[in-house]
Amino acid sequence: MSTAASDTTMSYIRKHYFATPLNSAISVLLALFTLWVLWSLFDWAVLKAIWGKGLNEECRAHEHGACWSFVATRWRIVLFGLYPFEEQWRSALACLVMLAVAVLSCMPAFWSAKRLPILWVLGFATFFVLMRGGVFGLTEVTERDWGGLSLTVFIFAAVCLLGMPLAIIFALLRRSELPWIAKTMALVIDVIRSLPLLSIMFTFAIVLPFVLPDWAIGDKLYRVIVGYAIFFACYQAEIIRGGMQALLMGQEEAAKALGMGYWHRIGYIILPQAFRNALPPTINQFVITFKETSLVTIIGFFDILASGRAAAGTADWSFATIEMYLFVGFLFFIFVFCLSRYGAYLERRMAVGSR
Amino acid sequence: MTFTKKIAAATTALVATAGLAQAQVADDSRLNTVLERGSLLCSGHNGSFLGFAEVDDQGNWKGVDIDLCRALAAGLFGQSEGNLEIVPISWAQRWPALQSGDIDVVIKVSGWTQSRDTELNLAYSRPYFIGAFQAMARVDLGAESMSDIAGGTICVGAGTSTERATATYLDTHGIEAELLTFENGDELRNSYYEGRCDALVEWAPSLAAGRVDAPDGADNHVILPDVIALEAEGIIVPEGDPDWLDVQNWMLSSLWFAEMEGITSENVDEVRANPPSATVGTFLGVNAGYGARLGLPDDWAYNMIKEVGNFAEIYDRNIGSGSPYNLPRGINSLYNAGGVFYPMIID
Repeated sequence: MSTAASDTTMSYIRKHYFATPLNSAISVLLALFTLWVLWSLFDWAVLKAIWGKGLNEECRAHEHGACWSFVATRWRIVLFGLYPFEEQWRSALACLVMLAVAVLSCMPAFWSAKRLPILWVLGFATFFVLMRGGVFGLTEVTERDWGGLSLTVFIFAAVCLLGMPLAIIFALLRRSELPWIAKTMALVIDVIRSLPLLSIMFTFAIVLPFVLPDWAIGDKLYRVIVGYAIFFACYQAEIIRGGMQALLMGQEEAAKALGMGYWHRIGYIILPQAFRNALPPTINQFVITFKETSLVTIIGFFDILASGRAAAGTADWSFATIEMYLFVGFLFFIFVFCLSRYGAYLERRMAVGSR
Repeated sequence: MTFTKKIAAATTALVATAGLAQAQVADDSRLNTVLERGSLLCSGHNGSFLGFAEVDDQGNWKGVDIDLCRALAAGLFGQSEGNLEIVPISWAQRWPALQSGDIDVVIKVSGWTQSRDTELNLAYSRPYFIGAFQAMARVDLGAESMSDIAGGTICVGAGTSTERATATYLDTHGIEAELLTFENGDELRNSYYEGRCDALVEWAPSLAAGRVDAPDGADNHVILPDVIALEAEGIIVPEGDPDWLDVQNWMLSSLWFAEMEGITSENVDEVRANPPSATVGTFLGVNAGYGARLGLPDDWAYNMIKEVGNFAEIYDRNIGSGSPYNLPRGINSLYNAGGVFYPMIID
């Protein structure tokens, strides 16, 4: 078996990479180039790198390798931002709770209209109590001091959770049979989509307090999340609408003919199929949303990128910007990669029905 | 009694009663808001600005601007611990955040420009830092001032105020040197370190910060003392709040006064126990008046000095000789040491 398999691999390689002398030459050159790039990277990042805590003087004197000593010394600033040092275990725990909730809600066992909301309400409550404190003997930490990875994860989760139901409502209104509702919704969606996210965040964070009554202002963090969620909902609504329009008219008509009411038609016939159709762009939207959370640094939040800059922004470590961006990039990669793998899993799973 | 004498007597009486009365702080002044809230909201950074606002390993803020925030909070409340919140804000956000009340005061190396002062409705305190454009050169070049660069090349950022200022400076001083311009800051610095030019002109604190990362070591580069142009950094409060602005001005003045009198965070208790002059006694709150006129406790300057020290201490600790940047104080010294700063008169 194994010889047969390696035979096919060998013949595959021969056929595709070494068919002609020119092909062979290009293949060899590219392979050498790739090897050289990988080797230099490995050399820089592993062999010549400096590991261990607090070795900034050694790093400064040593030019040719990565300085992972930066990460070893300053990782807590990158992960937790300005969160009080002694309380950072709370931030870590809160982040883990949020991730656990996210992972659990990805499991088919939790996909029910009763379990999911309970799970998320519990998750957010735990997160909030841990982060904010002020009860159960935990010292209070205001939203202003939240930062790093837990802030990024919190913003992302809150935006998606608020934005998704909103997106479904927007999409349904957009497809309403009453023209004035459909047209107004279309206008709202188009207006919000034509505004840059940054200006929406700026408006919600800074301009809104001048307009709103005092009781409705809330913390800047929540205003920004609401603004971002509306922005997210407008894009996601169009994605869902795309999924709905791909369905054949007959489906809804058949459901009507069976005497199903509006909510039954939407809940059992339209939405499940629309979501299946719209799954790839939805995952795409999630990934974009996660990456765009770093825009909040413009309105003064200590998200993971700002914390990274603060971590590298001292006299001791100001040379380590490359290591800092690589570390932050690596954290982003873990999240985005998991998201896209999960998306692929969902697609496989959902494809079962259409096979 | 002649008319003049009557006027003089009346004026003296008026001044005397005014002196007895407490300071009248306007009800809507930010000073009252801050005192009622019990904490000061001061500007921080969304990242860091070397030497002025950095985050240490424990996640605590430090830097010149942060120390000024701490001084202000200590002056208002006796100590900054528990009474100061550093709000992380971005450059773009600092003015709206000030107007909307997210922060009470902007202490964020912000230059005093005409448009900010007039169109943006901001009020500037007197400057606390003069950011000079200065040149850095390699030690082995042997240059001691800008005139020694004559005949060489100078690296400078393209299209910046630095470029214009440097060209003007070379013109007016009759120094013949070639200007090499670069769009990007990293490219600019690398070109200098690679030897493309003899000198590099930038904002002095940035020069000092960049020098620490010089590939061949900071000791091989010297920042020339000549000042090419200046930018004055002040503390900013909303316009139309003179009481709050007074506090900023007198805070800065107090820090310089302490430096002038040799009062430091270490000896402030001894000086207070045994003040060398009545003025110092008033300053440290031994005699009444120094705080009450501003609507503050009389020992506010003492609390400030006790916590952050005088201006020299703040400077040395964060960007001066006590820091890795080792930026010479130069024009930022007191007037009697060749600088432009001076305390105002305490009467």
